[in-house]
Amino acid sequence: MTLALTGHAVSRGIAIGQAHLAERNELEIGEFRIQPENVDAEVNRLQEALHTATEQLELLSERVTRSAGTAASEMIQTHILMLGDSSIGDAAERRIREEFCNAEWALQSQLETILAEFRHMDDEYIRSRGEDVAQVIRMVQTELSKAGNDRIFDAIPDRLADTLVVTSELTPGELALLHERGVAGIVTEHGSPYSHAAILASSLGIPAVFGVRLAHSLLQEGENLILDGRLGVVYADPDEAFIEHYHDIERITSRFRKSLDEVRSKPAHSIDGETIVLQANAEREDEILLATELDADGVGLYRTEFLFLRGEAPDEETQLEEYLSAIKALSGKTLTIRTLDLGADKTSEALDFRLIRSSLNPALGLRAVRLCLRDTDLFKTQLRAILRASAAGKVRCLIPMLTSVHEILMVKALLQEARAELQTRGQAYDPLMQLGGMIEVPAAALAIEDLGHHLDFLSVGTNDLLQYSLAADRVDEQVAHLYDPLHPGMVRLMHYMFAACRETNMPVTVCGELAGDRRYTRLLLALGLRSFSMHPGRLLEVKQAIIETHAGRATEALNHWLKLGAQRQDVSLLRLLDQSQKAS
Amino acid sequence: MIESTVTIVNKLGLHARAASKLVNCASSFSSEVWIRRGEREINGKSIMGVLTLAAGRGTELGLRAEGSDEEAAIATIMTLIADYFGEGE
Repeated sequence: MTLALTGHAVSRGIAIGQAHLAERNELEIGEFRIQPENVDAEVNRLQEALHTATEQLELLSERVTRSAGTAASEMIQTHILMLGDSSIGDAAERRIREEFCNAEWALQSQLETILAEFRHMDDEYIRSRGEDVAQVIRMVQTELSKAGNDRIFDAIPDRLADTLVVTSELTPGELALLHERGVAGIVTEHGSPYSHAAILASSLGIPAVFGVRLAHSLLQEGENLILDGRLGVVYADPDEAFIEHYHDIERITSRFRKSLDEVRSKPAHSIDGETIVLQANAEREDEILLATELDADGVGLYRTEFLFLRGEAPDEETQLEEYLSAIKALSGKTLTIRTLDLGADKTSEALDFRLIRSSLNPALGLRAVRLCLRDTDLFKTQLRAILRASAAGKVRCLIPMLTSVHEILMVKALLQEARAELQTRGQAYDPLMQLGGMIEVPAAALAIEDLGHHLDFLSVGTNDLLQYSLAADRVDEQVAHLYDPLHPGMVRLMHYMFAACRETNMPVTVCGELAGDRRYTRLLLALGLRSFSMHPGRLLEVKQAIIETHAGRATEALNHWLKLGAQRQDVSLLRLLDQSQKAS
Repeated sequence: MIESTVTIVNKLGLHARAASKLVNCASSFSSEVWIRRGEREINGKSIMGVLTLAAGRGTELGLRAEGSDEEAAIATIMTLIADYFGEGE
C-alpha cells in the first residue's frame, strides 16, 4: 500500500528509486570534570579537533568546487569561518579553563548559547544559520569523540543513481558529496527550507524534500520511493500505476527542460531569418530579474495596479521609487509602464470607486484610461512619476483600453501639463518618452490606423479583445467555450490589425496570454506579428516555437485558409500551419 | 580611529555569502573592525556577529576601525558593500 509522507518542498523535480537509509551515529555528549593540571591538555585537544575539522572542510571545499560549483564551496567557506570564530574556539576554551569541563561539553554549552541568540532572529533565513553552527560544532565533537564514523558516506554506495538517500539532516558539504555520487533524490527529517543544504539541492537540481518527520522510522531500506519535489511529498511502496504516472511526467519534463535549455543561448530567429522581439510581462522584481536572465528584450508590460491595491493611493514618490527599482533590475533594457488599469474585475479601496460599482456593466463601464481621465489628479500623479522615471532609464508609457482618438488627445494634454509641472519644479524627465496605447476594444482594433497615427507604438491586449469581440467572459463556465482565439472573426481581426500596422510602420506587440501560449506562436507569426510580450516563465517555450517556424510558409498557409470561405470550418488552422512547415 | 556609515544595497543583504566576504575582508587588515546596527556593535571579523546583525537591503550600518591600516580597512569594506559584494544586484 502506498504511504505518503509530507515535508518542505525545497527542490523541485521528481525522483524515482530505492531508499537508502543513511544512519548517523547519535553523539552522546557527556559532561566530565577536568583536573586543574589537565586543563592545558584539554584545551589542546579542543584546538587540535578544531584544526582537523577546518582542514577537512578546506579539502571538501576544494573538491566540491569542481563537482558542485562555487555556491557549494562558498557555503563550506562560511562553515570554515564559523569554526574559526572566537565565539566557538575562544569561548569554548574559556569554559574549559573556568568551568573545568571537557571540550565536548564546553562546545555543547557554547552551542546552546549561540543557538539561543539565533532563535531570536526575526529573519527566517538568518534563524536557519543556527543550523550551520550546530553542524560545524557537531563536526568538532565527532572529531573529539574519535567516533570517526559520523560521516554518513561510509556505508553509502559509490554510485547513487536510482537511489534516494534518507537521512536525519545534511550539511551542504555532505550534499555536495552525494551529488558527486549521482544521488537521485534526498529526504531529510530535519532542516529548514532555508538550510544551506536545501538551497544547494535546489541550485544543483537535486529533487529533495526536507523536514519529513520520522522518515527514518517510517521508510525502509531498499523500499521503492517516489519523491515529488514540487509538492514536498514522498511516496513509499507506490503501486504500479503510480510509478507509471510519475515515469511519464519525468520523461516529459526532463526532455522538455533539456530542449528548452538548448534554445536559451540562441537568438529568436525564425527558420527564414525573421528576427522576433521577445519581451516580458512583469511587475515583481523576481519576474524582472528572470526576464533579464533570459535575455528578454525588456519589459513590454509593467502593470502598476499592485501599487494601488495596497490601500491608500500611492503618492508620486512611492510610485517613482517602484519604477526606479524596476529600471535598475532591467539593467538597461526598456521598461514599458502601463498606467492604471483598474476597474471592472479589479477594484481598490484606495480610490473612490463608487462610480465603478454603480455602473451597470463594469466590463463596459468606467475603467482603465476612462477612469484615469475622470480622476485626473490620480492620473497626473502617475504620469509625473513615470516621466521622472524616464530620466533614469529607457521608459515607455502605455495607456490601457483606448477606445477613441479623443482619449489619446486628452492623455496627451495631461502629459503636457505633467511635464510643465515637472519643469516648474526643476525635475528631470525624458522629453522624448514614447507614448503607446493598448488595443483591447474591437472598434479601436478596426480603427487601429486612426489611433496609431497619434501614438509611438501599440500593444494588443488579446485577453480583453477576445472577450469583447466574442462577447464571452472566459471565467464564466457557461460561455467559456465561446472564448476561442481561432474563431475566424478573431483571426481576421488580428490579420487586419497587423497588416495595417505593417503598412503604416507602426510597432505593435501582443501582450495578452496568447503571446505566451506556444500553441499559438506559429499563428501569430503567420499573421505577421514580430513582437511578443509574455510572462517571463514562457519566454523559452515561445522562443523554441519561433526557432522551429518558417514564418513565410506559415503566412502562405494562413492566406490560403483565409480564402477558403465557408469550407474553413472543416480545416484545423493550427494543423494547416504545422503542415505548411513540412512543405519543400 | 576612523568611523563611517554605510547602507546595505545588495538584494539579499548580509546573507551567508555576503557576510563571509565581509568577514574575510575585515580579517585581512590588522586593525580592529567594529560594525554597529542601532545600539548593537559587533566584531567585524566574526561571522557569527555579522550574521546576527541580520542586515537586509536598506539597513544602515556604522563602521569603526582602529589600527595602523584603519583607513584602508574602512575604504575597502565600504567599496565591497557598495559593489553589492560582487553579486551584481
